[in-house]
Amino acid sequence: MMRNHPADHRQLEHDWYDGGLPDNVRLDEGCWLHSSYAFLHYASQRPCGVSIGKASGIYRGTFFNLGLQGEVRIGHYCTLRGVIINTNGLVDIDDYALIAHQVVISDAASAIPPARSNRKESEVAPEAAGETTRQPTIRIGRNAWIGCGAVLLAGADIGMDAIVAAGSSVNGPVPAGTLAIGNPYQLRPLKQQRS
Amino acid sequence: MSGTSATIGYGHLRGDWDYGDLPASIHLGQGCWIERRDSFERCRSQRDPAVLLGNRVQVYTWATFNLEPTGQVEVGEDSILVGPVFMCADRIQVGKRVVISYQVTLADSDFHPMDPLLREQDARAVAPGGDLSKRPPYQSAPIVIGDDVWIGIGALILKGVRIGAGARIGAGAVISRDVPAGCVMEGNPARPQ
Ligand SMILES: CC(C)(COP(=O)(O)OP(=O)(O)OC[C@H]1O[C@@H](n2cnc3c(N)ncnc32)[C@H](O)[C@@H]1OP(=O)(O)O)[C@@H](O)C(=O)NCCC(=O)NCCS
Repeated sequence: MMRNHPADHRQLEHDWYDGGLPDNVRLDEGCWLHSSYAFLHYASQRPCGVSIGKASGIYRGTFFNLGLQGEVRIGHYCTLRGVIINTNGLVDIDDYALIAHQVVISDAASAIPPARSNRKESEVAPEAAGETTRQPTIRIGRNAWIGCGAVLLAGADIGMDAIVAAGSSVNGPVPAGTLAIGNPYQLRPLKQQRS
Repeated sequence: MSGTSATIGYGHLRGDWDYGDLPASIHLGQGCWIERRDSFERCRSQRDPAVLLGNRVQVYTWATFNLEPTGQVEVGEDSILVGPVFMCADRIQVGKRVVISYQVTLADSDFHPMDPLLREQDARAVAPGGDLSKRPPYQSAPIVIGDDVWIGIGALILKGVRIGAGARIGAGAVISRDVPAGCVMEGNPARPQ
């Protein structure tokens, strides 16, 4: 069974932090992860807690603050420029997503990092149950762009090519090709559409 | 444990380090205080001056100078930079006696195209192992912050904005249009109070 034992960790070659990678993290070919410091508050016991697709770049300031059931799937060619993801659900990020610095993606507005220390064996996630059908609590569609300082809360469902303006706060669907802007946010059609 | 960090000590995180180590294109006035050398780690500007700090400017650990090769940041004397993130492709000019609080972003460009197909091309170009020469061009427009402006926690100052002297920007405000001198702005999108 995949478990997160900090003691027998895998190491990133370039890492400045000696925390090591949890076992249930999958890195595809050619992706870049700045440091295992991203897992400072990581408690996921899912079979795969975080997967990072090929040629995706996960940069300084990104944190995967996952509870026991927390899971993050990141597609190919994504850029996460320093993003805090705080979840005990599933955050699904599709290919080409661009997520700017100081973005927070969290199931709850007043989230705190999941407790690491008093983790109970009995709370270990049931494996495989509903594995393929698990619904994301937050979804970011292909080629979506999340501007700096934006906040995505539970229910945020960002469509393909959609944009969340810098500083906006979103907790609902943003259809493909639309712009979410402000706090509270409004939806506006984008002039430029895929042709 | 890594021996190097122990021997260097923590001076470089507390303002007590040799400021002469900075690249020559970063010009400091007299009596500047910079808490953390790493604030300039993402300064890739090829301009000279790349960064110009006036006398007695204070730069706290949360401040980040993220400059593209074409970027330039100038800060007037006696300003206090607590936590600005300068995302600069062109020019950001900050006046005298300005206070910028925690987690404020000042971005003189959006850095990515609005057009979805161009943005996908951009995502490939900036990806690890990508070819940066394939980046589509992006627009930028300088930001100018007047003297005695205060910028609250988490505010965002976007491309092309000019903020007049003595204006107050509330916490979390998003500023994408010019602000007249002395004006108090709050909210997202920001409105005069
Ligand atoms: C969404 C975005 C792309 C819109 O850019 P744009 O189309 O050039 O927008 P404009 O500056 O022409 O502004 C259009 C309107 O939206 C408002 N506006 C623009 N950006 C806004 C924002 N982030 N929040 C609230 N309102 C905003 C403008 O005030 C203007 O309103 P008005 O017509 O009532 O005056 C841009 O504002 C943004 O958020 N970019 C993200 C930048 C970023 O995060 N970069 C970090 C590097 S990855």
